[in-house]
Amino acid sequence: MTTEALIATLAADAPTGPGLRLRLWRWLLPGLPVAGLAMIGALALSLGLRDGLWAVLASPVLGKALLPLAIAAAALLAALRLSRPLAPAPGSTLPALLALLVVALLAVTLAQTPPSGWLAAATGPSIPVCLLTIPLLALLPMAVLLAALRQGASLDPARTGRMAGLAAGGLAAAVYALHCPEDSPLFFVIWYGLGVVIAGEIGRRAGARALRW
Amino acid sequence: MTEPEQGAGVQGAGQSTGNSSGPHGTEQQWATLMRAANQGDAVAYAALLRALAPVLRSVIRARGADLGPETCEDILQDVLLAIHLKRHTWREDEPLRPWLNALARYKVVDAFRARGRRMTIPLEQFNDVLVAEDAVDPAQRRDVLTMIAALDARSADIVRAIGLEGATIRETGTRLEMTEGAVRVALHRALKRLARLRERMME
Repeated sequence: MTTEALIATLAADAPTGPGLRLRLWRWLLPGLPVAGLAMIGALALSLGLRDGLWAVLASPVLGKALLPLAIAAAALLAALRLSRPLAPAPGSTLPALLALLVVALLAVTLAQTPPSGWLAAATGPSIPVCLLTIPLLALLPMAVLLAALRQGASLDPARTGRMAGLAAGGLAAAVYALHCPEDSPLFFVIWYGLGVVIAGEIGRRAGARALRW
Repeated sequence: MTEPEQGAGVQGAGQSTGNSSGPHGTEQQWATLMRAANQGDAVAYAALLRALAPVLRSVIRARGADLGPETCEDILQDVLLAIHLKRHTWREDEPLRPWLNALARYKVVDAFRARGRRMTIPLEQFNDVLVAEDAVDPAQRRDVLTMIAALDARSADIVRAIGLEGATIRETGTRLEMTEGAVRVALHRALKRLARLRERMME
C-alpha cells in the first residue's frame, strides 16, 4: 500500500467519534462499581467480612478504608491525565498532602502507644493474607482501568500503568478493610501500603504492555 | 504548552503556535483542517495528512537513513495510522502541532526500536514472493501482503477498494450490499486491526 493510498483510506474514515473523556468514562462509570461489588463479593465469600462491621464503619476506624480510597482517587486522576498526550503532568500537591496525612497519622499513633507496644501494634498473624489479598483483589479494578486507559495515548505506558495499579490497589485495600481485624494505623499504613505498592508494580508491568499503541 | 526539546517530532514546519508559516502549512491551517476532519470532512482530512506526510518523511529519513527508504516509508505509515487511531485524544481547544509532535515522536521512537531488533527478517521473507512485480512500489511489499494475508476477506476488500482503487464509501457500500454506516464501521475496524497487525509483524 502506498502512503497516498493509506491517506485515502484514512480520509474515508474521517469522523472521530466521541472524545477521549467520554471514551474513558464509558468504561469507568459502569466498570468501577462492578469491580467494587465483585471485590466485596469475593472477599465476603472467601475470607468473610469482619464481625460488627457496621459499628466499625461508624467509628474512626473507618479511616482505614478512607485513606486507601483517597490514594486511589489521586492515582486515578494521575492515570487519566497521563493518558492524554498534551495534558499537564500530574501535580504533586495531592500526593504530598496524602503523604503528610499518613506521616501525621503514624506520628500520632506512635506518640499514643508506648514504645514497648509498637511491634505488637505493627504486626499480626494476618500479614501474609493482607499482602496476598490486596494485590489479588486489585486485579479486578486494574483490568477495568487498563481497558479504559487503552482508549488514550499515553506517552509513558509504564508510568500510566503504575498509576492504574496504585488506584486499583487503593480500592482493593479499602475493600480489604471490611475484613481485616487489625485497627492500628501502625499495622494498616505499613501493610496496606505495601499491598498497594505491589499492586502498583503489577500495574506498571501490565501497563507497559497493555498501554502501548 | 511545551515544545519537546528533542526527538523526532514534526519539526519541519516552524513554531508551535501562532501564524508562523512553514513549507507545509501553519498551526492554524492544520488545526482548521483537523477540526473539519473531526466533523467527517474527508477532503480536509486528506489534505492535512498530505501536508503532514512529507514533514514526517523527512524527519524519519534523516534519523533512519540506514534503514532504507522502504522501511522509512513503512514507519511513516505507522505514524500516520497511529495519528489517525488516536486523534480523539486531541481536544479542539488545544494547539495541534505539539500534539502531533508528541504522537509522532512516540511512534517513531517505537518504530525504530521495533525495527532495530528484528527488522531484516520479514523483508527477506517477502522478497521471493514479490520479486517479480517490478512495477510495484517497493514500499508496498509488506503491507499488500499483510492485508491480503491477515485481514478477513471483507475488510481486505473494503480497504483495497477505498485505498487502492479510489472508490467512495457509497460505491463500496452499493457493491457489497452494505449500508454506508456499516462500511464506515467495517473500515474503521479494519484500520485498527491493520495497526495491530503491523505492530505484530515487527515483533
